[in-house]
Amino acid sequence: MSRFFNSLRDGVGFDLVLVGAALLFLLALAGLPLLYNVLMSFQQVDMFTLGTLIRPWAGFTNYVDVVRQPEFWLVARNTLIFVFASMAGQFVIGFSLALFFAQKFPGAATIRGLFLVSWVMPGLVVGAIWSWILAGDFGVLNTILKSLGIIQETVFWKSDPNYSIWAVVIANIWLGTAFNMLLLAVGLAAIPRDLYEAAELDGANAFQRFWTITLPMMRSTIGAVLSLGLIGTLQQFDLFPAITEGGPANTSSVAGYWSWQMSFQLYDFAKGATISVMMFLLVLFASVIYVRSTRHEVRG
Amino acid sequence: MTRPYTPWLLLALALTLAALYLFPLYWMYVTSLKSASEIYFNPPTFWPLAPDTSIYPQVWFGRTMSTFLWNSVVIASGVTAITVILGTGCAYVLARYRSVWVDVGLFLILMLQVLPASVMITPLFVGFNQVGLLNYPRTAVVLAAAAKAMPFFVVLVRATFMSVPRELEEAALVDGNSRVGAFFSIVLPLARNGILVCAILTFMSAFGEFIYSKSIIQEKNLQPASVGLSGFLGPNSSDWNAIMAYSAIYVTPILAVFVLLQRRIVSGLTSGALK
Repeated sequence: MSRFFNSLRDGVGFDLVLVGAALLFLLALAGLPLLYNVLMSFQQVDMFTLGTLIRPWAGFTNYVDVVRQPEFWLVARNTLIFVFASMAGQFVIGFSLALFFAQKFPGAATIRGLFLVSWVMPGLVVGAIWSWILAGDFGVLNTILKSLGIIQETVFWKSDPNYSIWAVVIANIWLGTAFNMLLLAVGLAAIPRDLYEAAELDGANAFQRFWTITLPMMRSTIGAVLSLGLIGTLQQFDLFPAITEGGPANTSSVAGYWSWQMSFQLYDFAKGATISVMMFLLVLFASVIYVRSTRHEVRG
Repeated sequence: MTRPYTPWLLLALALTLAALYLFPLYWMYVTSLKSASEIYFNPPTFWPLAPDTSIYPQVWFGRTMSTFLWNSVVIASGVTAITVILGTGCAYVLARYRSVWVDVGLFLILMLQVLPASVMITPLFVGFNQVGLLNYPRTAVVLAAAAKAMPFFVVLVRATFMSVPRELEEAALVDGNSRVGAFFSIVLPLARNGILVCAILTFMSAFGEFIYSKSIIQEKNLQPASVGLSGFLGPNSSDWNAIMAYSAIYVTPILAVFVLLQRRIVSGLTSGALK
């Protein structure tokens, strides 16, 4: 017995306790729910069976039902638009800003740091602000775009079915750009300066230097940033209730929000769980890419 | 250098870009200072005609913001406490060894980091309902949000521990310290700053937590500020100056802390794990 306590205080037992406590906690509150989610997607869940673990088996009925929902393909399309447009916007703007702030000028690091406020703000507040900026008749974005001559007519970002998903995309690009920029800036800073000097001596212009030095040297960073962007975009939830609530007529709903609506507005927990499982498969795919591209860094 | 190089021009450009990017924040504060009729001017005024702060006390008391914000603080403190206590030890062990098992543990933690809250909320809600945790809704939210926050914390703090020289800990062990003693008197103090930055980040994100609170907490006097905001926010909102005043009260403390600690937060984020 005393050997046991000694090991806790001064041996491998100490490590096991430290790592075990955290892993048990995560297992109970993330691992188990995940498995439970899969189980529920194969069960009939209603108000009467909500409190029990053993419920009537449903087989693949839930999956068939979800795919047959009239809005299924609309939501799937919206999810793809939301994910890829957000990622592209965040990455392109973030990369441009990172390249710009890699120049040497006074205050570069401080000003760059200010951009990150978008990242620490509560998602719901970001959604509220953008909801007001994107408002149709009184929104400031329409005013600015009109005075620049980009649009002639008022665009009803939130209530026009053609634009509603883009309203959320715009807000999400703003939200994620700073984080992309920060990670890419770290990658840029790690490229040895003398590579650029050598290329310049050899007569390479700025575009060639970017294409033959910056991009190849940044490959693993770009992989990590893109997969983190994919994961972050799939995790985005707060913007939807704040800006469009998925409407009008589901034209701006994505898988995560749809799943939540099923469970917490229609109380159809089985369908909610089923959509979650489908979405989880997508996240799994993204995380495999993420783990592969960060493996070297994580092992340190 | 072949091209003309003028740092001051770049600085001006940088300030312009920052101003453009931070325009939404400016718009939040400006709108909150406008009168109820001025917010519907078309075209909108870029500076309020008669800046009026009376909406702030009105929103603060009318929306019982002190209760909402207090609940946000309680939830964020709980999440931060659990995350720091459990996560720090885990990160330390994962930084100390290199083996297949550590890789497996890290892989599991990274996998948990990517789970969207909207995927987890359905099973968590049903599970909490079965074990009776829904009767203690704030505790339930704290537990759920801590599990969400911990993987990110572990990955970041692990990077901090990796930068603590192994030799210092070994020297303490040679001098007769136990593992526990060396951990608390040598390793932890050296990693203190990194842990603190990560704890602040955890607190900030838990302070804005929305989906778990919205789904789990039904009683109005237990809800955090995010749920309070969602109560009068939607596609058909109209009292925008009140919404913006509420938002301003909600985020200004976060923004202030962030601007004050900006350098540390940014360097904490960029060291190690996120490279």
